[in-house]
Amino acid sequence: MQLSKIKKDGSFRVTEVNPENGSIARLMALGLLPGKEIRLTHEAPLGDPIAIEFGGCHMSLRLDDAAHVKVEPIS
Amino acid sequence: MNTTRKKRQVALIGNPNTGKTSLFNALTGLKQRVGNYSGVTVEKKVGQWQLSEGEEVELIDLPGTYSLSAKSIDERIAVDLFTGHLAETSKPDAVIVVVDVENLKRNLFLASQLSELQVPMVIALNCWDVAERKGLQVDCKLLEQRLGVPVIPTVANRRRGRDELAAAVSHTLDKKTLMIRPAWPEPVDKAIDFLKEELVEKRNENLERAELQRLIFDQKSAVQERLKMPETESSSLIKTAREQLRTDGYNPDAAESLLRFRFLSPLLTDIIERQEALNTRSRTESIDGLLLHKFWGLVVFVGMMYIVFQSVYSWAGPFMDLIESGTGWFQDLASAQLEQMPMLQSLVVDGIVGGVGAFLVFLPQVLILFLFISLLEESGYMARAAFLMDKLFQWCGLNGKSFVPLLSSYACAIPGIMATRAINDPKARMITILVAPLMSCSARLPVYLLLIGAFIEPAYGPGVAGATLFAMHFIGAFLAAPLAWILNKTLDQGVRPEPFLMELPPYRAPRIKTTFWRIYESGKDFVVRAGTVIFAMTIVIWALLYFPRPNELAEQITTEFPAASEEEVAQHIDAAYLEQSYMGRFGKLVQPVFAPAGYDWKITVGVLASFPAREVIISTLGITYALGGEVDEESHDLREAFTRAKWESGPRKGEPVFNLAVAFSLMVFFALCMQCGATVAVIAKELNWKWAIASFVSLTAIAWVAAVLTYQIAIQFV
Repeated sequence: MQLSKIKKDGSFRVTEVNPENGSIARLMALGLLPGKEIRLTHEAPLGDPIAIEFGGCHMSLRLDDAAHVKVEPIS
Repeated sequence: MNTTRKKRQVALIGNPNTGKTSLFNALTGLKQRVGNYSGVTVEKKVGQWQLSEGEEVELIDLPGTYSLSAKSIDERIAVDLFTGHLAETSKPDAVIVVVDVENLKRNLFLASQLSELQVPMVIALNCWDVAERKGLQVDCKLLEQRLGVPVIPTVANRRRGRDELAAAVSHTLDKKTLMIRPAWPEPVDKAIDFLKEELVEKRNENLERAELQRLIFDQKSAVQERLKMPETESSSLIKTAREQLRTDGYNPDAAESLLRFRFLSPLLTDIIERQEALNTRSRTESIDGLLLHKFWGLVVFVGMMYIVFQSVYSWAGPFMDLIESGTGWFQDLASAQLEQMPMLQSLVVDGIVGGVGAFLVFLPQVLILFLFISLLEESGYMARAAFLMDKLFQWCGLNGKSFVPLLSSYACAIPGIMATRAINDPKARMITILVAPLMSCSARLPVYLLLIGAFIEPAYGPGVAGATLFAMHFIGAFLAAPLAWILNKTLDQGVRPEPFLMELPPYRAPRIKTTFWRIYESGKDFVVRAGTVIFAMTIVIWALLYFPRPNELAEQITTEFPAASEEEVAQHIDAAYLEQSYMGRFGKLVQPVFAPAGYDWKITVGVLASFPAREVIISTLGITYALGGEVDEESHDLREAFTRAKWESGPRKGEPVFNLAVAFSLMVFFALCMQCGATVAVIAKELNWKWAIASFVSLTAIAWVAAVLTYQIAIQFV
């Protein structure tokens, strides 16, 4: 499931990242790699961008870019 | 010590939000200078750092960056610097990598990339105090052993660890300590060897192994732009190498992150000890619960922005009044001293003292805005503000970081344009700078008040007058939005778009010293770089308004008005001199250009004379209507003079000059035109003169078209 499609805050596990996207390539240099746990913490008032956290790193990410990260819920 | 020997150079690099700049300031103190890397608008900060009794080194502060992937201009500067490919700058002798203890692994990613460049290294573990307070302990000795380079705990703003850092850098400069490098799997080496053979051996390109690595790992690496060979040829070779790596089982875009983190992880086992849970992070998260809340977050945001706007718009007022009365006092003083020499008197009073006053008057707004910007950035709120507002700006190529600069431009475009430095994306920053002058700044207010007071309020009452004033404040922003969109679509495609990715750093109490430093730097910058230009422009305009000045004219006027009082005669003389000054003649010459907007030569001269500073129009009109230059927007006499003014010649001879259509056309012209020498100077400083002149010309053209349209449409209804 694409990170951009998630409507609820919570924890997820990264299954796939698309390094072709500039923002995602940056996040990968910060350690956002498949298998990593990621948290969706906030959504801006207009629904975009979203705030995420992984490995102690809090970032703001636009939905266009978040579509390039696939995640699965942590059960 | 051999004094002729060139000073050794040490570069300072680190992720954003690691306190790198504070460390730079602590190490170099006031001994620093700011310039630009040749050809680009990336700020180059160099300071002198006394390592020991015998040695001073040059410390180069590089822009904050997460990686060396050379996607952005900042990263490219870093790669070029360390490979010795930066014009006018030699390869540094050592590098200090500033690392945030709390995010050790991700910060060491950058250090690990630097290790490939074979530059002697020292690692500064910054924010040591914060980490200690949180119960975080790092085994520096063990880390040092494993990495192979000195690891020094520092606290930037308390100067803790400064001596140890100096000793470590001295040691590294002598011993050339290099950080341990990962052993790359065979397919990676194979891809690099392929490129080495093709590019370096066959085509004689000057590339180090580290740069070849960047070509393999990064999509459209900036390193490629430097090659001598045709781009199509290099692209196809790089593509071949990358595809080979992919067939060998490594996605070239993901390989570096994957392999480097795999290499770093074991190096960090048993290094960090957490004694208790990280409390500050959760504190930051609970603050974010409020400040990023969909409703309350916006409430706080509006409140904060109200304070920022008010501070620049109103709180600066008393200080500006003080500077203005100070200028006035000096002018009176000089005027009295130089009464015998009218030319010198006018030069000193209107030119020199007036010119200094003309830029000093902006200083309070610049300083106050930078106080708030510094507090917002230091505390970590600025990133949240950009987060909340980002969506509003996305469609026209801007981002949330444009909000504060544009809002401040409503008070004054000068600090607003200076504040765009916080926007990392060069294109978004450029567009923000170019549309900022359209925001209706406080200097336009007197013009609106004068014209609304003279033509709209008497005819339509205060309700319509208020609505007009309100509308005038939006006309610029209304035009700025499509303009930004067009600029985004058409601007130089060579400027690499920067992905809008922003860290939401933990909240911190702002450091007084850093805040003070930012205010000082912005003030100095403004006075030194913009001030001089504004001063020069004021002198030029003064000369155009003063010369030529034949004595016969004064005698002629005196005989023309035998019954008038001395003051009235003086006012008529001033008006006559202005009419035949170079500016007056020029105004008459170009009046036909402004005729479609309904302006006579007097308005035209007023418009032209107010190009250095738009508020000048009121005093210029005061002089042309023989009321003296002391009138203000409340002046009853000036409003009277407007209603009495008649066309002196031409097809409309005898008809009143001013009517509702002219008033609107004039207000629209002032709302859109960049009649502010200070803004032009600041744009030239932040971008370059080419852009400053281009934006001046295009905004003038836009203002002219809009004024003509306004007049031609309005005149149908008047």
